[in-house]
Amino acid sequence: MRLPIAAGAATGAVAITLYPLFQGGAWFWASLGVILVVTGVGVLATRYTLPTWLAPLAQLLAVWIYLTAVFTGDEAWARVVPTKESLFGLAKLVVLGFDDIQRFAVPVPDNPGIVLLTCGGIGMIAIMVDFCSARLRRSALAGLPLLSLFVVPASFLSDPLSWVAVIIGALGFLGLLAADGQERVSHWGRAVLVRRTPSFVAPRPAADPGTLRLSGKRVGFTAIALAILLPSLLPTLEPDPLFGFGVGNGNGKGGNSISVPNPIVNLRGELSLPANSTVLTYSSSDNLPRYLRLYSLDNFDGEQWTMPETRGRPDDLISDGPLPPPPGQGPSVPTSPVNLEITVSEEVRNMNFLPLPYPASRIRIEGDWRPDRDTLMVFSTRDTAGGLTYQVVSQEPRPEAEQLKDAGPVPQAIAQRYLALPENLPREVADKAREVTEAGDTPYEKAVKLQEFFTTTGGFSYTLATQGHDGPALTDFLLNSRAGYCEQFAAAMAVLARVVDIPSRVAIGYTGGTNVSGRWNVRTHDSHAWPELYFEGAGWLRFEPTPSGPAGQGTAARPAYTLPELPTAGSDEPTSQPSAGPTGSDTPTGAATNPRNPLLDRDFGGAPIVVDEGMPMAAKIGIGAVFALLLLLIPAILRWEKRARRRRVYSRPAVVVEPAAQGGGQDTGLVAVRSNRGQAGVTAAWAEFDDALCDYGISREPSESPRALARRLSERYEFAPEAAASMAKLAEAVERMLFARTPAETGSLREDVRLVRRALAATVSRGRRIRAVLLPPSTLLRARRLGARVLDGFDRLENIRISRPARRNA
Amino acid sequence: MAVTHDVPPRLDDLVATAHRIREAIESVIEGKGDVVRLTLTVLLAEGHLLIEDVPGVGKTMLAKALARSIDCPVRRVQFTPDLLPSDITGVSAYNQQTREFEFKPGPVFANIVVGDEINRASPKTQSALLECMEEHQVTVDGTTYRLDAPFMVIATQNPIEMEGTYPLPEAQRDRFTARIAMGYPEPAAELEMLDVHGAASPIDKLEPVATTAEVKALIEAVRAIYVSQAIKRYAIDLVTATRHSPDLRLGASPRSTLQLVRAARAHAALAGRDYVIPDDLQALCVPVLAHRLLPSVEAQGQRRLPEQVINDLVRRVPVPEAQAR
Repeated sequence: MRLPIAAGAATGAVAITLYPLFQGGAWFWASLGVILVVTGVGVLATRYTLPTWLAPLAQLLAVWIYLTAVFTGDEAWARVVPTKESLFGLAKLVVLGFDDIQRFAVPVPDNPGIVLLTCGGIGMIAIMVDFCSARLRRSALAGLPLLSLFVVPASFLSDPLSWVAVIIGALGFLGLLAADGQERVSHWGRAVLVRRTPSFVAPRPAADPGTLRLSGKRVGFTAIALAILLPSLLPTLEPDPLFGFGVGNGNGKGGNSISVPNPIVNLRGELSLPANSTVLTYSSSDNLPRYLRLYSLDNFDGEQWTMPETRGRPDDLISDGPLPPPPGQGPSVPTSPVNLEITVSEEVRNMNFLPLPYPASRIRIEGDWRPDRDTLMVFSTRDTAGGLTYQVVSQEPRPEAEQLKDAGPVPQAIAQRYLALPENLPREVADKAREVTEAGDTPYEKAVKLQEFFTTTGGFSYTLATQGHDGPALTDFLLNSRAGYCEQFAAAMAVLARVVDIPSRVAIGYTGGTNVSGRWNVRTHDSHAWPELYFEGAGWLRFEPTPSGPAGQGTAARPAYTLPELPTAGSDEPTSQPSAGPTGSDTPTGAATNPRNPLLDRDFGGAPIVVDEGMPMAAKIGIGAVFALLLLLIPAILRWEKRARRRRVYSRPAVVVEPAAQGGGQDTGLVAVRSNRGQAGVTAAWAEFDDALCDYGISREPSESPRALARRLSERYEFAPEAAASMAKLAEAVERMLFARTPAETGSLREDVRLVRRALAATVSRGRRIRAVLLPPSTLLRARRLGARVLDGFDRLENIRISRPARRNA
Repeated sequence: MAVTHDVPPRLDDLVATAHRIREAIESVIEGKGDVVRLTLTVLLAEGHLLIEDVPGVGKTMLAKALARSIDCPVRRVQFTPDLLPSDITGVSAYNQQTREFEFKPGPVFANIVVGDEINRASPKTQSALLECMEEHQVTVDGTTYRLDAPFMVIATQNPIEMEGTYPLPEAQRDRFTARIAMGYPEPAAELEMLDVHGAASPIDKLEPVATTAEVKALIEAVRAIYVSQAIKRYAIDLVTATRHSPDLRLGASPRSTLQLVRAARAHAALAGRDYVIPDDLQALCVPVLAHRLLPSVEAQGQRRLPEQVINDLVRRVPVPEAQAR
């Protein structure tokens, strides 16, 4: 009876992992129904002990009836009994479902066809699981159909499954195994040996099945916890699978693959990677570099900039037509078309978003790629960009400073989404924003002032040795340290822009890269973040607050329209780059020749950007070894510290307990204080002695009294008379403290403890003495006890859950 | 062992007196220091002693030697199947001169009563001892007579030759503070015994070394021995362990806890200590608890005696520890 239910529960738990594949929840309820039907039939089959082969047939029939009732009830007889018409209806739905699956990318809408296919599939799996566990009594084998169900989301989704879903699925399977084990044990029957247990004696059978069950659960839970936690600790696997967000694609740093910047802004890893591999190359129709954007982050929660949820619709495929028009771009601002041919390196993994110039209007590419209507990010849930070559047409706006100054008011929808700031934004940050933009009248002038603030007037410097980009770090970056890298610059400028009512968002991608033999070469060190600000009529425009050149992000460059003092009329490439690596001399740029901005001059010969390349391998190994050594020494240090602390306590001068009768009320308090001090000394001395025993590996029975222990040690190890006397004194002191009316009048116990320690040390080998210092077992034991207490705590939780009134017949 | 100097003077006296009694008894019973010490412990704990062993190892001799070395009334009863309760407690006899019933006190009216082969008497007679042992009083014909303090029953029984005997029921065994076995003497002690006992019985030459008043004072001193909370808890832990042991069908009673702690006091006092330590309890666990326990069927099958079970339990129950940080 227990097994069919556990089988159903396991199937249900694993089916939950399918949730990212669907848009709605209809599939879940329908699937729950089919699992319940299979489970119900399974329970009945067990109850009436149907033949093994009959149960799955009965379940198949039940699933058929269920699907008929749910999906083609109108054509069925009495809504339930399948007819020819209803069968045809189901078949039609199945064909429709297959078509839909071909047509849609995940997450798919829950059309009846798709839901029918899902239900049918889950029903089959449920029948197989029930057959393996409840009929064949091979519950472990039931893991195979469950695994096949589990593989479905894992193979369709590029993102890792949520760890919660994995745990639920694993618990389901564990539950099935546990139920199987319980069923097996209960078949053993009762113990034949009958013992009369007096009613006042609490029954405590020797082999408690509860303990067995508990240890089984312990093993199971530990396995799950390790499976979830261990990968997050290993540097070569997913870096942060536990706490990743939404659409994240992990930085595949393992093997030979090249990582892609994470939308969760954390570019420092990219910028400081030792190998500066080529991510992509491209050629442009005007042979000028372009910033290539991967992600657009528009939500600032006070801690981080995060990405909006992207949704692909079947009619949005890039191959079907041009991309949606760029928001905010009006006819008054002239645009010029630019063609790019981009080739992404084959070694790039997990790139589900295309690096594109903004705004792209048309893309020719193979595969299932869809644009996000608001941000024009292009992504795929099926394909990755590694090894692809694609053509992009971009309609670049070429706004004049005057046009930007005259930009109209921001539409309500844009303002609502891109001006949002958290309530708890520090006042200093807002004040700073207003102070910096005081001189500007229009939003555009304010934006230019902000960029100037970061690049020239603010006294900011570029360094990769900065931690984090969260709320406090932002305040610190703006007001105190003023040192950071593109991430901080971009995030800070976007926040300040929102404060002064300029809609803003943060773009993540790559700078234009370097020119190698006529093709632009973008490397991992070109990973970059920059703010995009919105101006009505011109749309989203890139700004560049990050310092460039050798003392900054090497290939970063400020767009011409952000430098209003320059004669921009002559510049025919608004987003032009100050260019050129060693071979890039053929690309003149306005910004590079700007005498007022020496920072924009790029000068990187061969080795690209000045980043902390790290130290030589030998030094790293050395530091690692030292670190490991320090880690190993932790127990020794803890022990040493504890010993020093105790020695201070038991080395205190003699404590004389005066008879309380001699003094008045005040003296009694004094006596109590002294007595307490004496007790603390004795306790510390005894604890130190106890730990010394443990460190030297001398066993001690818990039932051995201090006196007996002292006698045994003195006799067995033939202590010298002084040591034996000290041992006896120590034992008597602790004995009197624990059991006598008045504690003993002990002086400083320091000498006694020293003598006893020395006597104990003399009885063991040199190796053990060294171990006692370097890896003291007493400290390790304490750590183990702590662990045991934690486990006990878990067990108690367990017991709370499973305790219930005893059943009469199991 | 260092005798600490804050022990009250009477504890020193106690140690000295007890030492005298021990020496006196040991002049008769050679090589049985532990047994003698335990006998004294039971005397000071105001308890009763059950000596169980094969014939001829000196059970009666021990009882008599103890009785002789204290200057107090001692009575000896040889238990036989036809012994009546009134033979123990006493009878009311009609006095023809006074024409009244007069109470003739039985042998139980003494400070030390030696009951030889107690398991040979009928249960009715055995139970007559119950009231005396527990309540230190005798009720005959509705009149209650108090027994003098100190009052100690030293009973002996023979574990073999069980035919025609009435084994003591659990309730009655529970009333004995301790049960000891004499055991055969060491060859050296037996040799000395041959030399000493060859010519004349040394017990005849035994002179009392303590008075009743002195023994009473000793008992008073024992009552003042300090028992800390930790020790009380430890005693309870030990006794509770016998109740939960799968090897025992019947665990120790709360009365045994009381007697264990009382005996531990006497044990500590005899060692010259004014406080009880776990070692006292550990030393007394087997003699005080073993005769009250019933082994389970499994333990019997494995031929595990209650003594072994208790020793195992004592090894398992942790002693009170200093709370080390």
